[in-house]
Amino acid sequence: MKRTLMLSAVICALLASAIFAFGDIARPKPSPAAAEAKVIFYSGLTVVSDPKAFEARLQISQDTFKRMQEAAARDGGSSLSQNIMHSSTRTIMAGLFMFLAVSFGGVWLARSNQRRNHRSVAAVLLIAVVLGIGTVIVRANAGPPPYIRWQNLPQSLKDGKETSGGVQIELVPGDDNMKLIIPLRKTGGKGEE
Amino acid sequence: MAGWPRAKTRERTRVSAKGFAVILVCSAIVSAAMASWLPLQMSIVTVFLFAGPHNWFEARYFLMRLPARFGRSRNFFIVAFAGIGVLTLAYVSLPALYYANVWSGANWPNAIAVWNTAMILWIGALVLMRARQKRNGDWFWVLPIAFTLCAFNWLAPELFSLAIVYAHPLVALWFLDRHLRRTKPEWLSIYRRCLMFLPLVIGGMLWQLSRTSSLADDNGLFWRITQHAGAELLPNVSSHMLVSTHVFLELLHYGVWIVALPLIGATGAIWKVKAIPIASHSRGFPKLIAGILIFSLLIVAALWMGFSFNYSMTRDIYFTVAIAHVLAEAPFLLRMI
Repeated sequence: MKRTLMLSAVICALLASAIFAFGDIARPKPSPAAAEAKVIFYSGLTVVSDPKAFEARLQISQDTFKRMQEAAARDGGSSLSQNIMHSSTRTIMAGLFMFLAVSFGGVWLARSNQRRNHRSVAAVLLIAVVLGIGTVIVRANAGPPPYIRWQNLPQSLKDGKETSGGVQIELVPGDDNMKLIIPLRKTGGKGEE
Repeated sequence: MAGWPRAKTRERTRVSAKGFAVILVCSAIVSAAMASWLPLQMSIVTVFLFAGPHNWFEARYFLMRLPARFGRSRNFFIVAFAGIGVLTLAYVSLPALYYANVWSGANWPNAIAVWNTAMILWIGALVLMRARQKRNGDWFWVLPIAFTLCAFNWLAPELFSLAIVYAHPLVALWFLDRHLRRTKPEWLSIYRRCLMFLPLVIGGMLWQLSRTSSLADDNGLFWRITQHAGAELLPNVSSHMLVSTHVFLELLHYGVWIVALPLIGATGAIWKVKAIPIASHSRGFPKLIAGILIFSLLIVAALWMGFSFNYSMTRDIYFTVAIAHVLAEAPFLLRMI
């Protein structure tokens, strides 16, 4: 009981100290990237060469075009990070629960005398570190990256074959021509690029 | 709690463990193929056919697991039933309040986050109560995990709710694991090996469908189905992939509740009330249980009629009210652990 009271008092004191911290970090200056392209729609894309064609053509099915219009009207929605940044209540609550999680995790670790628990915690930490390092190394490329599907594009174009993959449709400011960006990586070198 | 009569069920078994594994794997492959090929159509048909019956089977299974006398589990069941009631009412009232213009849609994520937090803390409380009954090991680790989940929930409440939509069908597989442990322990190891096949099937589906175009959601029903699968929350992901994955998981869920759990280890016909401990006990309630099951059958029939007359609206109502069965799974699963 005494221990629980002490623990509660420490948690309350830490929470109270958060009020005086204010957390008044200056708002970062808006970056020019804010006015860049915004993804509004995801679809599939097939690139095919046609030796008989006179001009390059971009074919869009009626249904897809309609859905693109609807997506453009919705403006693509907001990203997860934007949602979090624009809701101080949710950020505060998430921080509070994260604080409670770390606190109770620490209490559990401190009061568990079993060696097995310590081993399991050490194992979890080790896995987290390995995954973290691995993520840094592979640049968080969870699963096969989408650009893999486009690697054979040059050869397929030469052979007159089709190449299909996913495509993100972006709205960009200005009135430039349509642009198709294919994520081709140079092969044979050390890295991907 | 009455145990499952193992000897009888083993004698009745005609399917070998290998046959069981073949049935599981084939069912998963066929479900994945159908869900990938015709996601919207499969979603409509499976919900129409199986949504109501699987709830009936689930209710019957929970009644089978309900002890005739609560004894020292009394507090556990009070918290469980109170939580199911309060959380279901709150969940149903959220859209009702929204449509009644009581509060604006801008507060929707916060309302969802509050509800999710209450659900996590309720499950955490149930786990700790169950741990106190079992008295084996330190279950205090549940608290940091619950608080971590609460933190993630507050960062992205709508994505957290979407995660529940995808995780809930998998809970049925956990039920089947526990059920096999009691009724057919000799099938357990091969069942767990079959479960390792599941990530491969899902991975294959994601790989195949990631490059497909989003589904046409130009009518109200298709829009609802794609929204339910998270198309609006994940605009950069093909809605074909989302709907197919969700339908595949739902098919597994329905298969477990309607086929696997009632057939494996069954001690009598499903309509026999005497097979339910709380009805067959000398101080049990056979008439009440029979009444509940008959009334539930009427609700299933009403649901089918509703789907026939207005599929979209009935589907919306069903998926709102169905949160009760999602919540009910938590205490009964804990009782089996």
